[in-house]
Amino acid sequence: MAAVNAIEVRDLAFAYADGTPALRGVSFAVAEGECVGIIGPNGAGKSTLLLHLNGVLPETPDGSGAVRVFGAPITKANLYEIRRTVGLLFQDPDDQLLCPTVGEDVAFGPRQLGLGGPELGARVTAALARVGLAGFEARSPHHLSRGEKRRVCLAGLLACESRVLVLDEPTSELDPRGRRGIEALLASIPATMLVATHDLEIVVELCSRVVVLDHGQIVAAGETVALLSDEALMLAHGLERPHVLRHRHPHE
Amino acid sequence: MHVPDGFLSLQTAVGAAAISAVVVGECVRRLHRTLEPRQVPLMGLAATFVFAAQMLNFPVAGGTSGHLLGATLAAVLLGPAAAVLVMIAVLVVQCLVFADGGLLALGANALNMAVIGSLAGGGIYRLVRRLGVGLRGTVTAAAFAAWCSVLLAATACAVELALSDTAPARLVLPAMIGVHAVIGLGEAVITALVLVSIAAIRPELVGGGEPTTHRRTSLVPGGLLLALALAALGAPFASSLPDGLEWVATRFGFEHRAVATAGAPLPDYAVPGIGSPLLATALAGVAGTLLMLGVSYLLGRLLVPSGRRQRSET
Amino acid sequence: MRHDFLDRYSRLASPVHALPAWLKALATLTLVMAMAVARPSWWPALVVATALLVAGAWLSRIPAGFLLRRLLLLEPVVVVVATLALWQPDGGMRFALLVARSTLSLAALILFTNTTPFGEVLELLRRCRVPSLLVTVLALMYRYVFVLVDEAARLQRARASRAFSRSAARSWRSVASGAGQLFVRSSERAERVFTAMCARGWRP
Ligand SMILES: Nc1ncnc2c1ncn2[C@@H]1O[C@H](COP(=O)(O)OP(=O)(O)OP(=O)(O)O)[C@@H](O)[C@H]1O
Ligand SMILES: [Mg+2]
Repeated sequence: MAAVNAIEVRDLAFAYADGTPALRGVSFAVAEGECVGIIGPNGAGKSTLLLHLNGVLPETPDGSGAVRVFGAPITKANLYEIRRTVGLLFQDPDDQLLCPTVGEDVAFGPRQLGLGGPELGARVTAALARVGLAGFEARSPHHLSRGEKRRVCLAGLLACESRVLVLDEPTSELDPRGRRGIEALLASIPATMLVATHDLEIVVELCSRVVVLDHGQIVAAGETVALLSDEALMLAHGLERPHVLRHRHPHE
Repeated sequence: MHVPDGFLSLQTAVGAAAISAVVVGECVRRLHRTLEPRQVPLMGLAATFVFAAQMLNFPVAGGTSGHLLGATLAAVLLGPAAAVLVMIAVLVVQCLVFADGGLLALGANALNMAVIGSLAGGGIYRLVRRLGVGLRGTVTAAAFAAWCSVLLAATACAVELALSDTAPARLVLPAMIGVHAVIGLGEAVITALVLVSIAAIRPELVGGGEPTTHRRTSLVPGGLLLALALAALGAPFASSLPDGLEWVATRFGFEHRAVATAGAPLPDYAVPGIGSPLLATALAGVAGTLLMLGVSYLLGRLLVPSGRRQRSET
Repeated sequence: MRHDFLDRYSRLASPVHALPAWLKALATLTLVMAMAVARPSWWPALVVATALLVAGAWLSRIPAGFLLRRLLLLEPVVVVVATLALWQPDGGMRFALLVARSTLSLAALILFTNTTPFGEVLELLRRCRVPSLLVTVLALMYRYVFVLVDEAARLQRARASRAFSRSAARSWRSVASGAGQLFVRSSERAERVFTAMCARGWRP
């Protein structure tokens, strides 16, 4: 028998309270250690999908098994276990950064895991250093630039040492250097990763596979370079062939 | 109405702080039983909202402007117990971040604006709310409750100043009540307008603090009576020093200068043709309260055209 | 827009900033309480308090102009409330005393707030057994006040750029609808913050 997938989504459907159908029958799987990209136009349902992966949507986990993390369906009983396993980076850093100082915010996740004392401090320091914000512990989130806020959020995830990272637009609003820094950082993390993004260049660099989502449905899935080089497919879904692939051929 | 340090005697300040602390403890205890987890961040953001809303300027004649206090609005949107904590959070941040309102006076400011403001506002709202239906009922009740809550908070503030021997009661009571009868009018209109505009975007948010059962409403009916009683009690002072009232109004109203020109509907709080000044002024107070109830009703009719179509309004 | 002007100086490195928050809070409270009971015959105490505050301000390395501006901004309230005393016998003396007491208390509070980051104040409240629900509300409020004040400023600007009517009634309506929008936005943000808190393992 093959090893269990880190994430398995089977026939997932979801509509918001106001009736907006955001996901209709989405199915895919991510193997442990793999990095998969999710791309698609605005409003495709990317963020909605990611919110399902650690059980914040639907509001009460139904245990239906539409989403499985390491084989386990999300239920009320294992919700905290699931959230410990899957770290989620939100699209808007202002939603995620909720403590008065950067240091406390990075410590928020680990503290929920029961960590404290010098070990907690060490983790916070290390996580901030990894995102290039060493020494920012005492700063207030509102004094940070948008890109810095995003990196603090990422540090908050790193400090939890989750096995699976689910990232919603990790590189938006970063300057080119910051973007490269995050790219290198993500590449160095052994965790399973699922990245929703409009930054196709980073998909090429990081992800071995991509899933294209549009109108709440998966319209294509496959090996990154082959899929992103399909000009017609990209244009049909509000995307474009990334520059790095302009001069390459699909089967190079 | 933020009292700075230096004006309250130690006993008054400590006493007020003790009362506030007890009420806060009780509110927290009650909230721990009834609060849903998702309301915790809502309270934080609501406190932020009240803070920000207090910075929005409503133009008043002559280039001056007034602003919202928000205790009743918070009580209508979140329920009285949550509103007390929200308003206290606003006052604490104003004091400890912006030095607005004294540190020793924090307990008294909390008592006036958070505890009395929210509990009286919320209580009177729930009481009057039952007189009308739909959004119109909500708006009418909230407007009246907002006026009462400002008036009661101002009365408490005046009592504290008088107890501290900072100013004589016969001066400060009528002055504060007179000025805030007009400021409260602004609060009533703003509260009503804000509720209507929230209902236009997300109708389900208005009335979120509504009790699901009417079990505890029996605790509340004192609200309206209290307002009437206080108006009747406070009014006698008004007749004793009409000049003082006007004088302080012009000084106090540096932010709400319309007060001095708007004047009271019942001149000098005395009803012509009635002998005893005490009885007359008491009657004037009651009449003022009833008048405000009428104004609130008109406000409700004006802002919510038809009871039926309220939900489809944009 | 950034809001550094609000707590621009609360993180300087100075002997005053380095003092523990509880000590500064205690000192401020003591001074304020002493002012609350001060009588005219205590004028030496007022002089001592002034000297202490000036020394503290100097040691804090915060520009004197900044502190004075904050003081002058809030001073009108003090003076207005103090005029109430003019109606009492011996009014002039009482007025002067009230203004002096209140101004010194205010100066102490301004010095405290500008040398102590709010995060430390929260920690202090937590240790003083303030109910954790209130501390949580305060922490969230402090975190999002800047986000929302920004939003309020943007709303006000957008409104101003499209306001063609000078009618007071209409402008009240539009300010109120701005406030309404602000509430809707904050309650929606509260939903998202709740989601984020849950996602990060928060248990109620
Ligand atoms: N809270 C909500 N209530 C109702 N509808 C919503 C809500 N959040 C999102 N939607 C709708 O669900 C659909 C999917 O939204 P989602 O945020 O998942 O898109 P997305 O792919 O992440 O877009 P983007 O690239 O802009 O981030 C959209 O049509 C959106 O309007
Ligand atoms: Mg999205």
